[in-house]
Amino acid sequence: MGTATGVQHHKTHRAPQSGASSKNSSSKKKQGTSNDGKQQNPKAFAFSSSVKAKRLQSQAAEKEQRRLHFPTIDHSIGEPAPYVVVVHGPPKVGKSLLIKCLVKHFTKQNLSEVRGPITVVTGKQRRVQFVECPNDINGMIDAAKFADLVLLLIDGSYGFEMETFEFLNILQVHGFPKVMGVLTHLDKFEDVKKLRKTKQRLKHRFWTEIKEGAKLFYLSGLIHGKYPKREIHNLARFISVMKHHPLSWRAVHPYLLVDRFEDLTPSERLHSNKKCDRNIILYGYLRGCNMKRATKVHIAGVGDFSLAGLTSLADPCPLPSAAKKKGLRDKEKLFYAPMSGVGDLLYDKDAVYIDINDHFVQYSKVDGENGASVRNGKDHDIGEALVKTLQTTRYSIDEKLDKSFINLFNVKPFSSSQDANVSEDRTTVGAEITRNLPVKDSVEGVHIDPMDSSSFKENAKIEKSDMTREIESDDSVEESDYESEGNHDEVDQEILFNHDQEKAEFHNGRMRRKAISTNFKDLEDSEEDDADNQLNLSSESSDGSVEGTDSDAERGNDSKWKESLIARARTRQNINLMQLVYEHSSSNPVSTGVITGSNSEDSDDDEFFIPKSEWDKRIIEKPDYDDIDVEDCSKLVIPQLKDWSNEDLISNIRDRFVTGDWSKAAKRGEEGDAEEEEEEALYGDFEDLETGDVFKNQSVDDAKEDEVIEMEDPEVEERRLKKLALRAKFDAQYDESEISDEEDDKAKGKNISSVGANTGSYFDKMKEEMELRKQMNISELNELDEATRVEVEGFRTGTYLRLEVHNVPFELVEHFNPHHPVLVGGIGLGEDNVGYMQARLKRHRWHKKVLKTRDPIIVSIGWRRYQTIPVYGVEDQNGRHRMLKYTPEHMHCFAMFWGPLAPPSAGIIAVQNLSNNQDTRKVNNNQTSKKSDNSLQSMTTDMQRWLLVFFPFGGLLWVVDASCSFRIMCIRCGIELLLAILVAASFRITATGVVLEFNHAARMMKKIKLVGYPCKIFKKTALIKDMFTSDLEIARFEGAAVRTVSGIRGQVKKPLLGDVISFFSMTQAVKAELGNRPKTMGGNIKEGIARCTFEDRILMSDIVFLRAWTQVDIPCFFNPVTTSLQSRDQPWTGMKTVAELRRENNIPVPYNKDSSYKPIERRPRKFNPLVIPQKLQADLPFASKPKNKPAQKRPLLEKRRAVVMEPHERKVHTIIQHLKLIKNEKMRKRQLKEQEKKKEYEAMKAKTEQVLKKRNREERRDRYRVQDKQKRRTRRKVA
Amino acid sequence: MKTSYMKLRGSQYFRQRLLLSTLSSTSILVEDIRSESASPGLRPYEVSLLRLLEKISDDCTVEINDTGTKLRYKPGVLIGGKNVVHDCGLSRSVGYFLEPLIVLGLFGKRSLSIRLKGITNDSKDPSVDTFRTTTLHILKHFGVSLDGLELKIESRGAAPLGGGEVVLVVPIVPSSLCATTWIDEGMVKRIRGVTFSTRVSPQFGNRMVFAARGVFNQFLPDVHIFTDHRSGQSSGRSPGYGISLVAETTTGCLISADMAVSHPKTEVDALMNFEEKPELMSPEDVGIQVASMLLGEIEGGGVVDSSHQGLLFLLCALCPPDVSKVRVGKLTPYSIATLRNIRDFLGVKFVIKPEPTTNTVILKCVGCGLKNLSRKIS
Repeated sequence: MGTATGVQHHKTHRAPQSGASSKNSSSKKKQGTSNDGKQQNPKAFAFSSSVKAKRLQSQAAEKEQRRLHFPTIDHSIGEPAPYVVVVHGPPKVGKSLLIKCLVKHFTKQNLSEVRGPITVVTGKQRRVQFVECPNDINGMIDAAKFADLVLLLIDGSYGFEMETFEFLNILQVHGFPKVMGVLTHLDKFEDVKKLRKTKQRLKHRFWTEIKEGAKLFYLSGLIHGKYPKREIHNLARFISVMKHHPLSWRAVHPYLLVDRFEDLTPSERLHSNKKCDRNIILYGYLRGCNMKRATKVHIAGVGDFSLAGLTSLADPCPLPSAAKKKGLRDKEKLFYAPMSGVGDLLYDKDAVYIDINDHFVQYSKVDGENGASVRNGKDHDIGEALVKTLQTTRYSIDEKLDKSFINLFNVKPFSSSQDANVSEDRTTVGAEITRNLPVKDSVEGVHIDPMDSSSFKENAKIEKSDMTREIESDDSVEESDYESEGNHDEVDQEILFNHDQEKAEFHNGRMRRKAISTNFKDLEDSEEDDADNQLNLSSESSDGSVEGTDSDAERGNDSKWKESLIARARTRQNINLMQLVYEHSSSNPVSTGVITGSNSEDSDDDEFFIPKSEWDKRIIEKPDYDDIDVEDCSKLVIPQLKDWSNEDLISNIRDRFVTGDWSKAAKRGEEGDAEEEEEEALYGDFEDLETGDVFKNQSVDDAKEDEVIEMEDPEVEERRLKKLALRAKFDAQYDESEISDEEDDKAKGKNISSVGANTGSYFDKMKEEMELRKQMNISELNELDEATRVEVEGFRTGTYLRLEVHNVPFELVEHFNPHHPVLVGGIGLGEDNVGYMQARLKRHRWHKKVLKTRDPIIVSIGWRRYQTIPVYGVEDQNGRHRMLKYTPEHMHCFAMFWGPLAPPSAGIIAVQNLSNNQDTRKVNNNQTSKKSDNSLQSMTTDMQRWLLVFFPFGGLLWVVDASCSFRIMCIRCGIELLLAILVAASFRITATGVVLEFNHAARMMKKIKLVGYPCKIFKKTALIKDMFTSDLEIARFEGAAVRTVSGIRGQVKKPLLGDVISFFSMTQAVKAELGNRPKTMGGNIKEGIARCTFEDRILMSDIVFLRAWTQVDIPCFFNPVTTSLQSRDQPWTGMKTVAELRRENNIPVPYNKDSSYKPIERRPRKFNPLVIPQKLQADLPFASKPKNKPAQKRPLLEKRRAVVMEPHERKVHTIIQHLKLIKNEKMRKRQLKEQEKKKEYEAMKAKTEQVLKKRNREERRDRYRVQDKQKRRTRRKVA
Repeated sequence: MKTSYMKLRGSQYFRQRLLLSTLSSTSILVEDIRSESASPGLRPYEVSLLRLLEKISDDCTVEINDTGTKLRYKPGVLIGGKNVVHDCGLSRSVGYFLEPLIVLGLFGKRSLSIRLKGITNDSKDPSVDTFRTTTLHILKHFGVSLDGLELKIESRGAAPLGGGEVVLVVPIVPSSLCATTWIDEGMVKRIRGVTFSTRVSPQFGNRMVFAARGVFNQFLPDVHIFTDHRSGQSSGRSPGYGISLVAETTTGCLISADMAVSHPKTEVDALMNFEEKPELMSPEDVGIQVASMLLGEIEGGGVVDSSHQGLLFLLCALCPPDVSKVRVGKLTPYSIATLRNIRDFLGVKFVIKPEPTTNTVILKCVGCGLKNLSRKIS
């Protein structure tokens, strides 16, 4: 087969010459050729009517508009964080295998177990992080919040399962990331046709759920326990070219998916109390938006924490260098998965183990004779170099320490413990676990100490090549000096910082090196004292507004060595206006929460007691901003004004007016820029005393051209930016094409400008503006040096961050499970407050029951999950929010609940049941095999209840078959009912919604009806009892409208008091009726009788009612769902619903007899006869007068009499009767005849019609035949 | 949930602290308010400001201890609303209240329309004229349209007894402000202004105009100063006069200066008995002084004058996370304090770069991305 050269020749493709496929292809081609250029009838497709044309045009425009999204500005700069690919599916569908296969495809590495996120470099511009979605609903909710792409695995042989739909619903609520479906288990189909049908069906179902044409992959089966390579390749290709759009919530909140987790609680604290609060470190890529140091974070399933430390680390899985080459080298196929125990690394809770195979042990011989790390030819890796240098260490640390001395400049420092305070990113690199670091090469038993200066230097060199090592080490020494001097203010912010030291130990017969966490202090703000100096110095020469404090006193005890520093500080003080403004006082009340004030008190600690007068004097002396009670006034009062008649002064500002010299004024701006540039050149190197690094002005080189342009006027600058924006926009449109040649760019520019001119729509303009804004941001921010930039905009997205969180409950560490990804989300301004939220909510239509007001539900909003008690309602016509007892069946309703506030338009998903009985969720499931015992138990009890509801007549038989599937046989009905349908938790998503607004006051109203009865009726006034219970209550309702059942309207006037009773001059009887005695008799009046007036006189039998609205109080309850603080297989228990409680305690549903419906019995009303007064009667006209006729006892004569006819009369009567009879008979006969005739006629008509039809058809056929013949003839003629 | 309070000391920058605390919904605890002073505790105007905040927001809680030296403020949701009336008292002028209100109004649930009663013009706070002509226009640069923005001066009231009334209407921002790049200060092309005089001779206005124009003669011909003399109902309860000047540059920047003269408060009694009327600064002096102040502001440079720096920085910090860039003159102590407060409350730091040739300062910041959270979505 193979030739000598080893190149295999493949047969070339030959198009089929015969058979169905050949016909197919040829016919297609034919059609294509016949249609090429000209259609058969071009006129047929032209617009014939203007109306139609218009309609088509509008349709097209509408389609176009529907395609558009509101443009959003993408604030991310630089390389993006790895995209998170969440692999989701029901259990046993092949999730881990898919991840393993994909990882194998990308990196050629075998992954033994999938735990935690796995970062993989998939291309030159792209990294991907694979995460397996846990199977419980909490894990699914969290996964939906960080997924950029979701692979929905579906068991093809089984069909969709509820998990998939649940997850889709969660995704929809938390912003819809990209979704691809993957069908697995397709090898279970034997019948090809059935397979095809199933694929078709599942595809269409998938489309309805996502969108028409959504991508669904088919993994046909397993080959050697893996998916076929070709199919994985295709899937990988799709994953690595997928475009991601920003989601609204995530674009404004920073978040991390933790891919490494460490506990660094001091061991002594752990020893003393195992359950003490822990300090943990979380590592992960920053996503979403920039993160600032002061940001509070929410750890999903745990709670809110403020960060104790936030630092950026070197990327453990960097993108390959931008060298121009095709594809990835093997070395660049990085892969980072500390939780998964990749290869020789095993991740533990508080340590990292490195496994070293025996055959690697021999590897690391000391290869350099002279002890220095020799680099022969090829480059070593970081780790390799690191280990190599370690081999050369001759002295132990103690010895080194003894020998070490401190030198300020130009001498390399020896390693000392002080070195530890160099910025952490470098120290941790030593312990960073990257796949490409040849850790396996490391020597057994060699104590790797990243603190060792030499190794550190190696690292640093590789990482920050632009930084010279010497200066760095100088600075670190300087810093350590500061610390050792210790004569300055105590450093405020000390950050406990973990560092992984390693310890070799035997474990399971294998050498393992345990990394033990040790703590040392990271002096982040050790420059504090220096800053003070700077302040003092700079304030002396600063402008009048900032007057200096006396610095001499403080400087008195400065040692000599500091003078050089001071001198250095002096040289650059005039540009550090920023430090002047920000680092004046050490007051930083936000982060520390300590009462801080001006530093005046701190600076002179020795003076505790100061005479009052002196104090006052001091206050006067102090500059404005040192006085804590300074007058709050935005206007600056200038004590003496200049005399503007002075010629010098006038000439000074002459050019600030249009009457002055325009050219000079124009120069004003330019000069500034020029000067600025010069300054930058002078002070370009910014030394950050905080970390001891020297930052070269990085932007010098790339900013040069910018500056050149800046020299010219701003219009040019703007044009430049516009150009950049256009370019970026174009690149975004065609972002796969990465040609960046100059010529190409020019061509693109032209192209796009012409396009812009053509479209020029509002949308395009908006997009362009946004792009312009982005370019401006980038250019402005790139001007700054790194430290300032981080301070100003925070850490950029895509950086690898290390978050230190203190005082975390120990359960988090104890129950930490790498299978459950940890999501850390940043909390925005005001989102950590609590209050009432109003949401628009809809019960999910698959959820079986309506939701009841005040039944607790678990909601997921933003990053949080918590249980809360909602009150449902609807909005009335007049804007009132009316409470509902239950959610409406098929409608949205309002829900109001208490909880941590989320910004409006945040999505809500509600669940009521967190239980994990997945198997019962399978609809029509009768062959599951994955049931856990407790769920089974709960199910049986559940079922009993349900079935008792359904079949109260009993006669049930329970059958539990061997495969743990339940069938219920109802003997009487003979119906087999499937259990799963009955179980309430068939679909766990209860409701979905969106936050409308939040406010602190709840405004949900409920209707109440106060019912009362008249106890005394005057003309139009009545006393109403039983409506109110006290006079105070009546006072509250004064003026309220009341109504009787018969519709007579009225008003509440006043409570009935003693004097009122006398005013109405009641009789004793009335008073007795009211159940009280008058005041004169010493009794007190019964309270709660209201005087009401009506528009008409009411009756004693009337019922009076008052309709009112009362505010419903919404329970101030929320309970964070802390699933991370317990073991994962335990169900989280929160507040129970009333129904659950009743079920548990066997309490029947309370039954109110009045609430049940009964047939209404209405007895006919008896009215008394109308009585007309005598006098009135006398005045009435006779016709209207009641006639006093006695009732007729016997019927009248006319009714009683019998009639006897005369003989003649009788004759006539009989004759007439006969004639009538004859006539009737005649008519009857005639009618019959007519009917017959009609029938005959109809039959005849049908007959003729049939004949006619036949004839017509034949006629037509003939005609067509002739026509066709004629046509053919003419065609032949034409041909 | 327990609320955590940010602890602060002293009565300094009281307005800013309250304003920023409300915007960022951080609860604050202010201690040692004038605890060293002979009359400790909150001043009436500060209490009035707190009451005003309670009026326009929902469920905000203010707790003051007995001596008034300790304040606990928990902000609520800004509601805004129509027909709100607030009596500002006589200890500070309306300008003191207008400055925070204009920002708060932008981030409310509904647009704010509020009637403020009190002293409209005094020298300590920006006068309502300056506010109308200059301050409102600053918002234009941050994407707030001027249509809904309005300040109507119904009647004027000078210092000791007040009696003025203004109506402020502020629209809400739909979602957030827009970042701005505003560094071109341009050249002054015209000077406008308005004088006011209440319960004094109408001639006072003209005298001030005359004096001020005299100063500008050497610079610019396009100077036009209006006079607004009030009498009767709309003139408040005490005599006073003053002038507010605005210089407009070619790039649309507005630089203002103002001043008002009236009897100080301590002399209210003296005012009552007409024999001893203390001498006030003559209108000519006022005119010349304000004109020189304006020239001083122009000399300082920057796109806004010194009294508006704080507001400008605050607006920049409230923008979405885009870069804002502004140029101002010399930083005033008040604006420096604003910068610090912004850092403490919003976590926004400015890059401050001086320009020695022009004696101006260029500030850059990335906004905190504050959104109008209280707005209701439909």
